[in-house]
Amino acid sequence: MTEPNDPDLTALATPYALNAVTEAERADIERRVAAAPSEVAQAFADEVRAVRETMAVVSAATAVEPPDQLRDRLLTEVNNDPVRVLRPRIKRWQTAVLAAAAALVIGLGALGVGLALRPAPTPSTAEQVFAAPDVRTVSGEIPTGGTATVVFSRDENAGVLVMNNVAPPQPGTVYQMWLVDDEGPRSAGTMDAKAVAPSTTAVLPDLGDSQTLAFTVEPGAGSAEPTTPIFAKLSLV
Amino acid sequence: MTILTLVARLPLVTTELDALLRQVARRDVDAFATFYDRTRARVFGMVTRVLRDPGYSEETTQEVYLQVWRTAASYDPSAGSPLAWLLTLAHRRAVDRVRSEQAAGQRESRYGAANVDLPSDQVADSVILRDERRQVADCLDSLTDAQRECIQLAYYDGLTYVQVSERLSANLATIKSRMRDAIRGLRRCLGVA
Repeated sequence: MTEPNDPDLTALATPYALNAVTEAERADIERRVAAAPSEVAQAFADEVRAVRETMAVVSAATAVEPPDQLRDRLLTEVNNDPVRVLRPRIKRWQTAVLAAAAALVIGLGALGVGLALRPAPTPSTAEQVFAAPDVRTVSGEIPTGGTATVVFSRDENAGVLVMNNVAPPQPGTVYQMWLVDDEGPRSAGTMDAKAVAPSTTAVLPDLGDSQTLAFTVEPGAGSAEPTTPIFAKLSLV
Repeated sequence: MTILTLVARLPLVTTELDALLRQVARRDVDAFATFYDRTRARVFGMVTRVLRDPGYSEETTQEVYLQVWRTAASYDPSAGSPLAWLLTLAHRRAVDRVRSEQAAGQRESRYGAANVDLPSDQVADSVILRDERRQVADCLDSLTDAQRECIQLAYYDGLTYVQVSERLSANLATIKSRMRDAIRGLRRCLGVA
């Protein structure tokens, strides 16, 4: 029951912040806060914050040193943990995409190493992007089906595009990617029917000041500039 | 030792932990180890107080810090201090564990001896923590018995406010305001902003 003015809501802030609610109550409270007028939501958030800060200080009263082996176990786990650094905005489902993209790129890298019969002298562009402190991921649905994901780093001035389950272009055409900045679009490569299915990656080596990655359908092997309307785009801002 | 010392020290702690968390978000294992060392006694102690079982407490503490390692980037400084973020997620995990053990019917045997005080030789040996511990204990003493009981049942025993009201045969409104007053009293006494 969501009232326009939810007088009981603020009174629940303390039990909520103390985790003294059931999962169902927690979900209900969060729904009501989301629906509440902003001043009510703000009062709720202020109270929650005050409770949490207070209990953080109170934790001094119950402090107990953990056994040393806990530290050892933890550092061993952390040193072996394969989970990648993710920026705050990245949603959980994108984590899976990113992990899949990383696995794919690492797989391709290993194949390249195998073929060349020597270790790569420097990390690949993709490896540098994934290791960059400012790595970010944007993802979007392609209107004709499938998803496109770009993992990119402004520090590295590069990105990795991953296309999953994208329908192949019509015979005689290719998908062309464009990095768009204030000067307009410049080509970032093409994908033909063979390259698209079922998933593929492409390195975007020079992001420059581009704000958008755009996709068009181009005839033959591609064009110098877009000749058809953009059918999908991802914001890189 | 006055309250002023405690309050003056907190921003320093927050700044340091904040910087460490940023490094942890970049997979800096050394920063993670330092973050653990700075906070482990608070987390393990609180978790132990809730779970009252050394094995469960170690497991839960380990899960808490793995969560820190994996989600440090989601810490938002504008939403609160690093210590509050950490203890909130630790408390949530501890309470979830208590309730799942309770649901499995094991609570009675494992948690029969409620409110056991911790042996003093287990208490964290850091001087700073000892000072704070004394101040917080004084502030807890400044609450009414009814307020302290509410905090004990809800925060350390993992009861919901509805269960607290049943346990104390008091109505829900009374329990909610008692909890709120307890926190306000502590907050004022501790000088928490």
